[in-house]
Amino acid sequence: MIEASPKDLDAPYWAALEQGRLNLPTCKNCGVWHWPPVSRCAECDSWGLDWHDIPLEGEIFSWTRTWHPFGGTEGLEKPFVTVVVAIPAAGNRRLMGLLEGVADTAPVPIGAAVKGRVSHTRYGETEIPTILWHLAARDGDAQ
Amino acid sequence: MNKALFGKTAVAGVGVQQFKRGTAPYSERECLVRAIIQACEDAGLDPADVDGFVSYGDDKNEPVRLMSDLGTKELNWTQTVFGGGGGGIAAAFGSAAGAILTGQAKAVIVFRALVQDASGRLSAAVMAHHLNPHMAAAGLVAPAQVCALRAQRLFGYHGVPAETAEAFLQACYYHGSRNPAAVAYGSEFDHDAYMASRMIAEPFHLFDCSRENDGAGALLLVSAEHARDLRRPPVHLLGVTQGAEKGWGDLLENDDADLYASGGFGSVARRLWEQTDLTPTDIDVAQIYENFSAQGVTSLIDHGFCTYESASEFIRFENLIAPSGQLPVNTHGGNTAQGFIHGIGIALEAVQCLRGESANPVPDAKTCLLAGGPGAPIVSSAIFGTAAMV
Ligand SMILES: [Zn+2]
Repeated sequence: MIEASPKDLDAPYWAALEQGRLNLPTCKNCGVWHWPPVSRCAECDSWGLDWHDIPLEGEIFSWTRTWHPFGGTEGLEKPFVTVVVAIPAAGNRRLMGLLEGVADTAPVPIGAAVKGRVSHTRYGETEIPTILWHLAARDGDAQ
Repeated sequence: MNKALFGKTAVAGVGVQQFKRGTAPYSERECLVRAIIQACEDAGLDPADVDGFVSYGDDKNEPVRLMSDLGTKELNWTQTVFGGGGGGIAAAFGSAAGAILTGQAKAVIVFRALVQDASGRLSAAVMAHHLNPHMAAAGLVAPAQVCALRAQRLFGYHGVPAETAEAFLQACYYHGSRNPAAVAYGSEFDHDAYMASRMIAEPFHLFDCSRENDGAGALLLVSAEHARDLRRPPVHLLGVTQGAEKGWGDLLENDDADLYASGGFGSVARRLWEQTDLTPTDIDVAQIYENFSAQGVTSLIDHGFCTYESASEFIRFENLIAPSGQLPVNTHGGNTAQGFIHGIGIALEAVQCLRGESANPVPDAKTCLLAGGPGAPIVSSAIFGTAAMV
């Protein structure tokens, strides 16, 4: 269920993330951003994707802070915050990730700017590359 | 109106076996067989004459394996609706009706069975259906978390007050506390206890989440003519729709921004009203699959009972309870307060409230909305009606 195959449409995403980079695809023909990736662009009836390097910058679209020790989250300290982040440089397509550096009781502001770094989440016996986001405003505070 | 469908089939019998999770005295298959026999006895139909079966949500009970116990003469129709969640529950009636109205089967059981020994935890099974590395890497491994993301957006961006979700729950508990067959029988909803219940995934406390039961439910669907010859008052299927619209689905949280916080019923609800020539004001009572409290709220919004803006006005406790509320919901207690066998109880109550058998009767109710699986990639809805509607 969770095994990746090199034939998977999202294989280039994982390969880039393993190297610490975010890659997302557009339609080879019309340039529209596709995420999740598609084999065929239904906007222009064509096949194939181009992959692009994207800065790890986005905006929080939604979030949840998980307290319950769900099976499969053993690799994450509770509570942890999952975020859905819109990527303006990729047509506001959204990625799932984790938010670091927020207090356990702090609400997470929808719409806030975030920056990310690539890390890994342990899931069972595997380490899956993931993006750890933090509130961009914090960078300013620290300076 | 879709005259080919409206009122042409009817539920003629119901059966249910419900136990605390992990305590069913029978195997999953025996629970199911017992529920089917109950439904047939309720209708006064020989179980051997059931010739079709439909389920949803990755049910593991292949109908062919039931034939010996039921004495099935001919198995003419077996189907399951795609999707790992409860979104297929109303769609299952659509499949059954399609078989009956095209002469492919005569007596079709819609069922769902779930016993932990056999099928494991439902939440784990639903997630196994949907889980991918993108989700696991972000710590998203349970339906509660995915629905929580949608709920945060509903409350935090669209401005629907969280109190609507509590009001929905309170109505479920009010009904459940008055239903001897409900897990919450005798226990009143308490605001402080709700707020104090442990946090699962924000904004959901434990009380916001449906909790699983062991058991099985079965409903017998036959043609309207056939139903008139059987023992119980027929409860007619007036309309049923399923699916997803463009911009909704299994999209790695990339559903369209204006749909993201919804239950996913956009095209399903619109087509249901078109198909039946009915409107929300024609609905007397609603059984709404609330996997989580906020998704009960979005189901009501999606079906047009209110909007994001008017939600707090409509989704009030007094408005949602029998007998006097404008739209009594989950009159048996719902998934949260009656019990949860992957939502089949919601369908059973849709029928029983129209037969006047609810623990919380809605006097003279003629129509009941059934909405299944909010937030799932595929959802479905149906409207049932009494003979007065046909
Ligand atoms: Zn294109």
